[in-house]
Amino acid sequence: MSEIALEMRNITKTFPGVKALNQVCFQVKKGEVHAIVGENGAGKSTLMKVLNGVYQADSGQIFLEGKEVKIENINKAQELGISLIFQETNLIPQLSVAENFFLGKLPKTKVGLVNWKYMEEQVTSIFSQLNYKIKPKEVVVNLSAADKQMVEIARAISRNAKIIIMDEPTSSLTDVEVENLFSIINDLKKKGTTIIFISHKMEEIFTIADTVSIQRDGEMIHTAPITGLTSDQIVEWMVGRSVDTEFPARESKIGEVVLEAKKVCRKNLIYDVDFSLHKGEVLGFAGLVGAGRTELAETIFGEGKLSGGEIYLHGKKVSIKNTTQAIRHSIGMLTEERKETGLALDASVKSNIVIAKLSKLCFGKNLFINRKAEKEVADQYVKELKIKTPSINQTAYNLSGGNQQKIVIAKWLFSDADILIFDEPTRGIDVGAKHEIYNIMNDLVSKGKSIIFISSELPELMGMSDRIIVMHEGHKKGELLREEFSSEGIMKLAVS
Amino acid sequence: MTEKGKKLDIVQVLLNYGLIIALCIIIVIVSISTENFLTVRNIINILRQVAPTGIMALGVVAVIVAGHMDLSISSTVTMSGVVCVSYVKYLQADVKGICLALLTGAGIGLLNGAIIANITSKKGRKGESFIITYGMQAAIAAAALLYTNGIYMNLQEKSLHSFFGKGYVPIIIFVLTTVILEYVMKCTPFGQSIYYIGSNEAAARMSGINVKRNTMIIFTISGFFAAVAGVVLTSRVGAASSTSGNGLELDAIAAVVVGGTALSGGKGGVMKTVLGVIVMGVLSNALRLLNIDTYPQMMIRGVIIILAVLLDVFATQFKAKGGAKA
Repeated sequence: MSEIALEMRNITKTFPGVKALNQVCFQVKKGEVHAIVGENGAGKSTLMKVLNGVYQADSGQIFLEGKEVKIENINKAQELGISLIFQETNLIPQLSVAENFFLGKLPKTKVGLVNWKYMEEQVTSIFSQLNYKIKPKEVVVNLSAADKQMVEIARAISRNAKIIIMDEPTSSLTDVEVENLFSIINDLKKKGTTIIFISHKMEEIFTIADTVSIQRDGEMIHTAPITGLTSDQIVEWMVGRSVDTEFPARESKIGEVVLEAKKVCRKNLIYDVDFSLHKGEVLGFAGLVGAGRTELAETIFGEGKLSGGEIYLHGKKVSIKNTTQAIRHSIGMLTEERKETGLALDASVKSNIVIAKLSKLCFGKNLFINRKAEKEVADQYVKELKIKTPSINQTAYNLSGGNQQKIVIAKWLFSDADILIFDEPTRGIDVGAKHEIYNIMNDLVSKGKSIIFISSELPELMGMSDRIIVMHEGHKKGELLREEFSSEGIMKLAVS
Repeated sequence: MTEKGKKLDIVQVLLNYGLIIALCIIIVIVSISTENFLTVRNIINILRQVAPTGIMALGVVAVIVAGHMDLSISSTVTMSGVVCVSYVKYLQADVKGICLALLTGAGIGLLNGAIIANITSKKGRKGESFIITYGMQAAIAAAALLYTNGIYMNLQEKSLHSFFGKGYVPIIIFVLTTVILEYVMKCTPFGQSIYYIGSNEAAARMSGINVKRNTMIIFTISGFFAAVAGVVLTSRVGAASSTSGNGLELDAIAAVVVGGTALSGGKGGVMKTVLGVIVMGVLSNALRLLNIDTYPQMMIRGVIIILAVLLDVFATQFKAKGGAKA
């Protein structure tokens, strides 16, 4: 039992600008379920991709059952008996279950045709081992998420996997399906298969894992048997850094309620979320990937359909059906995906700034754009927000991430938005620009605007917010006042 | 530095004004080798000839700037033509016929737009407009055949309708179309939104632009102007048949692209398209005056279209490089 199945020694992996893994050491015993936990971006998936040959480590060694191995690609990993089951399944949807099983190495009959009969027998026999019923001829597209997961697991078994890595396997499963998955994991364990289990959900880890490793900021912080640990301890290790005090102080008066959401629902994404936003306030939203924060914000901005509940602006009930109406109600949204939905990279700095409210620039009734006014507006915002660009006619493509983000902010300022939704505004931009954005946020609230601030980085969320709402899988799990902020407190709510 | 700078400038000028330079070269060569080219009569003749295709091309500019495609305009020309002429010929109802023809065109465009707006409104699947409007082209072509029973409708009598094809009138309509669309695309918030949609549809939607509505409007414009072209064409030729528009859609779209409007969207415009239309028109006329046979003529036209697109691609690349240095 205590035999070491896998050891990774001093694994380092850097991506341009980021050290994703720093001297990570990691040991897994044979036949155990080993959970890896950590915040978003802690390096869990990167570590697993190194193990699976998707990425090559810059330095470090990997040992399987005591022997050093080099894993150059996924095929090599498979040969060595390592199978990775991704968050999103890796099956080809248009092919049958059996075809997916034998992808790339279809068995042939004597005359060189595909041996369908053999394929079906093999698949049926593996599923009967697992006590699970799926027709080998079924096309993958018709299967449920749980069935697909099971096909992946069965396929891993058919390839004699000794180590199966599951990257958040339960994220799209129902409770019953999760139970089913866990009983299969237990069966596999008994047969001596080693399972590495990545999850955000504490509950599951305590149910299924034997050992837990905690990763943070690309480093392996701690590995310990699960017995004797508490959820609080794990969370503390996960966040474990002191909260930065480097967030600029601000003076703002928090005033009356400007936006109130009552039992807001969006089909299959958001369930009965209540919150209120005050004038001059930064309201933080915490949660892990898939918590539904962006989806909630989109719903308020008219980009997602409200399937239940009510939204009030300044005490009046409103119905916002699209983004055009949201802007008319003075709402603006800085989106998470800057390059995809934040701005048009081919368009000029100028046209990106004015696009959300062209009517403001017009003579008469939207008949003529006043080009002089357009230029003045663009110049003014470039100066005010210190956007570094050689000219307002430059295409946004040539600017740095931070400057692009400032263009997006300028767009919403020009649109006269009073309620600003900032979804991960500092993602992918450098430290200096981050600070500028914090300062701009402070400036905005001190002028009486209100900000909904979504961020996956707890330090900035705690540093900038007046209140924080924590979400988990579309539900609001709690609301914390500034004096109640703690990484542990937030993480505990986010994983529950 | 100055030496190099000058060289750079020359290349830039060549690339930026390549099409105009090419046009001048064609004009010079043809005027030297034939007598009838640079005459007022011939020039007016050229403009009269390009007017219907030109009007179609201008109508489809907004669609292409938004990153979409409209192949149905040829059938719209046919359909509006036969609708109009049938009223003129059999009922002597010119006004009614013309109005109905324009409404038919706008209606076909609106139908295109409604379908395309609804399928592309989420997570843009822009390529679909190519095939949807191709389907519409086939369906409307068949509808025109059913409507006319395949009969060729000749117009003898003088009528209000015949006015639209006379003398300078097609040219005036072409110029008016240019002015209207140049205004719409360059001066109005609507036009600016269309360019933005062409650059990044998702970002346009998240900036509060009503992408669905704008998509419907641009296809309606495209259909409407195809119908205008249909009325002008039938009037100029003095007849309508159920195949009169066939193939014109690609001539129009080629003119748009030759002028420098990118099929990927976000770039180009009305004045560039006018230039593209004129280049194509002058080229056909020149080839005919030079007595070049039909088949080589077609080949030369094809090569010119390809060269024009290449020129535009290089010019854009060159500008992007220069921009990065600036």
